[in-house]
Amino acid sequence: MTVRECYETMGADYDGVLSRLRTDERVKKFLLKVLNDKSYELLCTSLKERNMDEAFRAAHTLKGVCQNLSLDRLYVSSNEMAERLRGGQAYGEDIEPMLEKVEEDYMLTISCIQQLAQEI
Amino acid sequence: MQTGEKNRMKKKILIVDDAEMNRALLSDMLSDEFEILEAENGMEASAILQTQEQEISLMLLDIVMPVMDGFETLAVMNKNGWIKSVPVIMISAETVPSYVDRAYDLGVLDYISRPFDERTVRRRVLSTIMLAAKQKELAHMVMDQLLEKEKDNKMMIEILSNLVEFRNGESGLHVLHIRTLTELLLKSLLHKTDQYNISRKDIPMICNAAALHDIGKIVVPSEILNKPGRLTNEEFAIMRTHAAEGAKILRNSTMWENEPLIETGYQICRWHHERYDGRGYPDGLKGEQIPIAAQVVALADVYDALTSKRVYKDAYSHEKTIEMIKNGECGAFNPILLECLDDISDTLKNEFHTMEENSFSPQKEILESVEQMVVAQDGLNMSERTLHLLEHERTKYQFFAELSQEIQFEYTETPELLILSEWGARYLGLPEAVPNPRESAFGNGVFSPEDFEELLAALTATTPKTPVVDKNYILHIKGHERWSRVIARSMWDGEEDPAYVGAIGKIVDVHDNMERLSRLEVMAAHDSLTGLLNHAEARKRIVALLSAGDPEKRYIMMLFDLDHFKQANDNYGHLFGDEVIKHVAKTIKDSTRSDDITARTGGDEFMIFMAYKTTMEPQVKRIYSQLTGQYKDFSICISMGISCAKDCGGDYDTLYHMADEALYSVKKNGRGTYRFYDESLKDILTDE
Repeated sequence: MTVRECYETMGADYDGVLSRLRTDERVKKFLLKVLNDKSYELLCTSLKERNMDEAFRAAHTLKGVCQNLSLDRLYVSSNEMAERLRGGQAYGEDIEPMLEKVEEDYMLTISCIQQLAQEI
Repeated sequence: MQTGEKNRMKKKILIVDDAEMNRALLSDMLSDEFEILEAENGMEASAILQTQEQEISLMLLDIVMPVMDGFETLAVMNKNGWIKSVPVIMISAETVPSYVDRAYDLGVLDYISRPFDERTVRRRVLSTIMLAAKQKELAHMVMDQLLEKEKDNKMMIEILSNLVEFRNGESGLHVLHIRTLTELLLKSLLHKTDQYNISRKDIPMICNAAALHDIGKIVVPSEILNKPGRLTNEEFAIMRTHAAEGAKILRNSTMWENEPLIETGYQICRWHHERYDGRGYPDGLKGEQIPIAAQVVALADVYDALTSKRVYKDAYSHEKTIEMIKNGECGAFNPILLECLDDISDTLKNEFHTMEENSFSPQKEILESVEQMVVAQDGLNMSERTLHLLEHERTKYQFFAELSQEIQFEYTETPELLILSEWGARYLGLPEAVPNPRESAFGNGVFSPEDFEELLAALTATTPKTPVVDKNYILHIKGHERWSRVIARSMWDGEEDPAYVGAIGKIVDVHDNMERLSRLEVMAAHDSLTGLLNHAEARKRIVALLSAGDPEKRYIMMLFDLDHFKQANDNYGHLFGDEVIKHVAKTIKDSTRSDDITARTGGDEFMIFMAYKTTMEPQVKRIYSQLTGQYKDFSICISMGISCAKDCGGDYDTLYHMADEALYSVKKNGRGTYRFYDESLKDILTDE
């Protein structure tokens, strides 16, 4: 699988990221780093513990990572989450479906990247 | 190694972001041109800025971070003034306008929004760094030009006023004194009151103007000017014209008549002989009618005239001068100025005359002019900040230097100048700045000239990688010879092709340690009863001579013991035995030369090792017969074996063994004589 194919499968913008980061090699290098990024886990546990500040920072970091790598699909759901959590807003029932959406997109993204990683 | 070298010249960028991914991405985009430092939050960034503020060319700062976020970081940077020297670019994913505005208000220069685009990141980073560097450079250029201009002005005024001084048959010191006194009095006056329309930044200008106070003397004939005796009334009348004439000269500079320097100069020239009670000349002004600058200079003039030697009088002491001025014996002055004189009295008494002797104090001069410049130019915040830093460092340095009770010094090669720490200067009884240290009481006094040359040579011989010199010297400090340890580090200029520019270092008194050490050394090397060397030390010295001394190895070793010594102990007691040993040791010392090696190698066993030129038997015979004799009731008789170093190829153990074998054979054959080792004795000991 090429990096471009990986991007297409996970609903991300390969041309966009390539134009900014300049080389396919660099895109791949940083894409693989997403596997080590802990902000998704931090988001989940923080929400479970109702630590809203920490949850916001985690969602914000996740969103930032997606933005830099043009992971558009996961960016949309994590950005929505970050906006919901901004300013220490209280926990609410509306968060659960949002988190489900983030989870779905995150899992898709991660599985694609893992597949790419295995083929190297 | 090479990357390390290269990194040293790269500009440093500090990336502050909690997401490792973002730091890595930015670092990846920038690390080929910059050295990257990373911090996970504002707290870590502050720690880095605390120590490396001056080295960091740019900071990339995220907003949303744990522990200390971007805004808090900016607040800290403002509080500490770091924001003035480190340009900041925001890199947050936040694009809410209120955030962006707030960031700009806090001093951020640019904003890079996500997602990061390599070209954008690099361009923004480069242009921001260039902008900041340009600004710094411009500030420095302006500062340099101001300094240069100020120096030229001061120089011209000094030349001009010295002209009058020299005609007056005096050195240029009076002008210098007036300048210093005026400055001290004005500072004190400003401290007391703001009733006069002057501010701190006027002080340098007034001091310059003060230097011109006697410029009118140019029109006074030199017979009158330099007349040793009392002036006649007519002569005095001519002398008095110098005030109005000086003022006229300045008034004639029509092109500059509105310049503060000319205006103040006019006031000072014309009215520095007025009296507060209205009885002065030329206009008989009274009290506050006399401009304050002229009042100050009048007082300075009188103080300096009294404390200096003139053709018609000796110098009065500081105390006497103050007394005379206060009693109104030398004019009438504004009471507030007399208070100022009181306030600066200690400074004048303790420092005034050393100040002028050591007026060569470049650091202070430059720093003060820079201070004045900065005060004068409100815009130069960057320099003000640097000065705060300098001031801070200076205080810190002085405090620690004072605490440590060490002589600390700074040495520069061109111009050759040595600067001592305050404590160090006091301790050595030298001024803080020592020009031409080689010829001074430091390089030729405290140090012996040879030692000082050696130290300087050692420093010159260092490299930037091994810059430290650590040596002990005997220094002459206030009439005492003290062992002192000098630890110094050479200083280098430029990174590409470093040039030696001087050194910094300290001098620690290690006299007591050295003495203790050398006592221990003496103790370890000598036999406590006789003061002769012990066997180990004798061996050490002989081995050294055998390997590095006479290449032909013309040395002999005599090994001997006392016959029937046991009887002396048995019959007369051990104390008597010790006395015999001491007596023999003394005889050995008396009958050998100081560079012979003499040792007590065992209970009643001794060793003499000596050089000879052609023959050896006569010396041996002489020493042998001198040793033989009577001590009280005990007749001293010895057995001696002798070996020659040339026979054993210079090996100590063989030499000793041969002497020992010869001695053994003497003892075996009835004692009481000496014998040289020869081949027939070979292995006599081992065969037994």
